[in-house]
Amino acid sequence: MKGIIALLILATSIVAQATEQAEEIFKQLAPSLYQIRLIDKTSGEKSSIGSGFQITSDGLIATNYHVISGYARHPSKYRMEYLDNRGNKGQLELESVEVVNDLALVKRETAQPMPFFAISESVPIKGEELFSLGNPHDLGMIVVPGTYNGLKKESFNDRIHFTGSVNSGMSGGPVVNKKTEVVGINVATSGNQIGFLVPHDKLVALFNAYKVKPPESIEQQMLEQLVDNQEKLISTILNSEWQLKQLGQALIPTVAVPYIRCWGDSNADKEDALILAAVANCTLEEDTFLSSNFFTGVLEMEYRYMQGKDLSDTRFYTLYEKHVKRAGPANKATKDDVTEFQCQHDIVMPSHQGIKNKAVFCTRAYKDFSGLFDVLYIAGSIDKNDRALMSHFTIAGVTQESATAFTKKFMESVTWK
Amino acid sequence: MEIIIEEISRGHKLIGRHKFLKESVAVGRGYQNDIIVSDPHVCSDHLNIEFNGEYWTVSDADTINGSFIEDSKELLNEHRIQSGDIITLGKSQIRIVFPNHPVEDSVTFSPFENLIDIARNPFTIICSILLFSIATGYLFYLNNPKDVTFTQLFVPSMRMTLIFALWPAGIALVSLLTKHDTRILSQLGICFVFFNLMWLNDILERFVQFNVSSHWPFMWLLAVIPIALSFCMFWFNCIIGFHTTKQRRIAICIGLTVLLFGGSALIKVSKKPDFTPFPRYNATLMTPDFHVTSSSSVDEFIEDSAKLFEKVSKKAKED
Repeated sequence: MKGIIALLILATSIVAQATEQAEEIFKQLAPSLYQIRLIDKTSGEKSSIGSGFQITSDGLIATNYHVISGYARHPSKYRMEYLDNRGNKGQLELESVEVVNDLALVKRETAQPMPFFAISESVPIKGEELFSLGNPHDLGMIVVPGTYNGLKKESFNDRIHFTGSVNSGMSGGPVVNKKTEVVGINVATSGNQIGFLVPHDKLVALFNAYKVKPPESIEQQMLEQLVDNQEKLISTILNSEWQLKQLGQALIPTVAVPYIRCWGDSNADKEDALILAAVANCTLEEDTFLSSNFFTGVLEMEYRYMQGKDLSDTRFYTLYEKHVKRAGPANKATKDDVTEFQCQHDIVMPSHQGIKNKAVFCTRAYKDFSGLFDVLYIAGSIDKNDRALMSHFTIAGVTQESATAFTKKFMESVTWK
Repeated sequence: MEIIIEEISRGHKLIGRHKFLKESVAVGRGYQNDIIVSDPHVCSDHLNIEFNGEYWTVSDADTINGSFIEDSKELLNEHRIQSGDIITLGKSQIRIVFPNHPVEDSVTFSPFENLIDIARNPFTIICSILLFSIATGYLFYLNNPKDVTFTQLFVPSMRMTLIFALWPAGIALVSLLTKHDTRILSQLGICFVFFNLMWLNDILERFVQFNVSSHWPFMWLLAVIPIALSFCMFWFNCIIGFHTTKQRRIAICIGLTVLLFGGSALIKVSKKPDFTPFPRYNATLMTPDFHVTSSSSVDEFIEDSAKLFEKVSKKAKED
C-alpha cells in the first residue's frame, strides 16, 4: 500500500513538474510567438491563420509555406499580418519559401532588437519530451507537451513523428526541447495524438541560404525547389530495386522503398462475378502543397488483373475496356495551374516481348512552373483471350526527362508470368 | 371548246381536275354550278367562264369577296384567260388550262428504284429489322457486367427498334400530309438497311481505332463515313417520299445532315466544361484476333510523346 501511495505521489509530482515546465517555457517564449494571418484585401477579413516564431533579433519569422500559400500564389489578393502575444498587429513581408518541406520566412519591422528562438544544433533522442506551441483554431496560444518518436520511415522528405496533438492553426508553430531550442516545426496531423513536424535542419538550411542571398523571385525559387525534388525522387526510385510481384498470371513491378506503399484487393469472394479481378495499388504517401486546390509531387501505380470465368472473349474485352477507359490524375489542379491533358495511344510491345499492350500516355503542363508536367499512363494487355492486365501510373510535377525515364522503366517492367 | 379547270390548294397542290366540253362554265357554292366550291367565302353564283367564239373570258358575278387573278387586287370582268391562269375566289383557288398547255418532261425511273424494290421486299424488311434488333440486344448483353436473361435483353432491344422505326414512320406521315405516296414499307426497308450499315460502320471504326496509333493522319476519315451514310439515307427518304427537283432534294438532305451532326456537335460544345482535369483518350480494346498491325517499341512510343510535351508547353505559355 505504501508503495502504491508513494508511486501516486511520484506520478502527480511528475505531472505537476511537467505543467510547471510548460508554463515556464511558455512565459519565456511568448513574446517571440505570433499568429500569422492572411487578410483578404477585398473583404478585409482574415481568410486563413497559422502560427509563426521569430528566429532573428531583426524580425525574421519562420512559419509553414501552406499558411501563407495564398499570398505566395496571389500576392495581389491578400496581405499578411502578425498578431503578437500582447495583441499588436503589423504587416509582414514574404522573404523566402521552401515548398517541398513546407517552410516560409516572413519579416516584420522592428524598432529595437527583439528576443527570438534559438534553433537546436542537435537532433532529439527517441522518447525525449518536446513542447509544441501554436494557436489552434484561433483559440489563443497554447503549449502541447509530447514525445519525439524519430523520423517517419514512410516519408521521402523527412518528417518527425511527434506524439502529441497538433491541431489546425498550430501549423508553423515551433516545437522546442526543454532547453527551449527549436527542434521542429508543426506541419500536419494524422488524427489522435499523431503529429508531424518538419525537422529543424530544413529550417537551418533555408535560413542559411537566405543569409547568403535572398531569393529574387518566389516563383522562380519554388520552381527550382520542385525541379530539384522531383529529380531527387525519380532518380532515387529509378536507382532502387524494382521487385516483380505476381498478380494473377502477371508480373507487376513494385519499388522497394519504404515511402511507396502498396495495398491490394480482389473480388475472389464474389462467386457470381463474371470476371475475377485483383487490384494492387502503390502510392507515394506524401504530396507537395502548392495551394489549396493545387498539389504536386504525387506518384501512384495501379495494376488490375482480370480473368474471365465463363464468358465469351468479346464480352470479356467489352467489360475490361471500361476499366481502361476511366483513368484520372491523382493530384488536384485547376485551370489556373495546369493545361488540359493531351494524350496519345498506340499498341506497344516491350523489348522482352512478354506482353503486348494498348498503351495511352497523357501529359499536362504547369502554367506557372515552366518545364514541369503531370503525366498519366494507362495500358491494357491485348494478347490473351480470357485474361488481361491493366497497368497504370500517374506522376505529378516532373520534368520531361524524368517522366520519360520513368515511363520507359515502367513499360519495360510489366509482363506476363 | 375544251377547257380544263383544276381546283388547287393555297400551296398549289391539285385537289380536283375537271374537263368541260361546253362554252360556258359556272363556278360557285350553289349546287346549280358546274364546279361546286364548298368555301364559305365563296358566293352561291361566283364566277362565269365563257367562250366568246375567239377566246375564253372570266367574269365575277358581283360577289361579296370578289374574284382576282392570283394575287392582284383587280376585280375580274370580261378578263381574257391565258392558259395557266390562277384565279382566287374567296379563300380558294382554281387554275384554268387549255388542252394545248405544255406539260413537264416525263421523269425517268430513278436508277435506285431497283434497290428500293429489294429493300421494300417484306423478306428483306423482316431480315434487316431482325438483324438490327439482334445487334442491339447483343450490345446490351456485351455491356452488362452481370448474367442476363433473354427477356432482359428482349425488352430494351425491342424498345430501341421501335424508337428507330419512328424515323421512317415519320417521313411516311409527312409524305401523306403533303399529298405524296406514303410508301411506308419502302421507307422502313431503306432506313433499316442504313441503320444496319451504321452498326457495321461502328465495328469498322472500332477496328481502326484499335489498330492504329493516335498519330495516324487519316483519323478524320472515320468521322466522314457516318455523315456520308446519313446523307445517303436522307436522300433515299426523299426519293421515296417526295417528288422534287434534284437541287431541292440535295438541299433538303444537306439540311437534315447538318441538323443532325451540327446539332449534336453543338450540344457537345455547349456541355463541354471550361476546363477538365481528366484526360480524354481513346482506349478502344478488341480481342487479340482483331489486332492486325505491327506493334511499336517502347522507345518509339516515348519518342512520339515528345510532341505532346511540346504541345502542352506551348499551350501553357499561351495562357
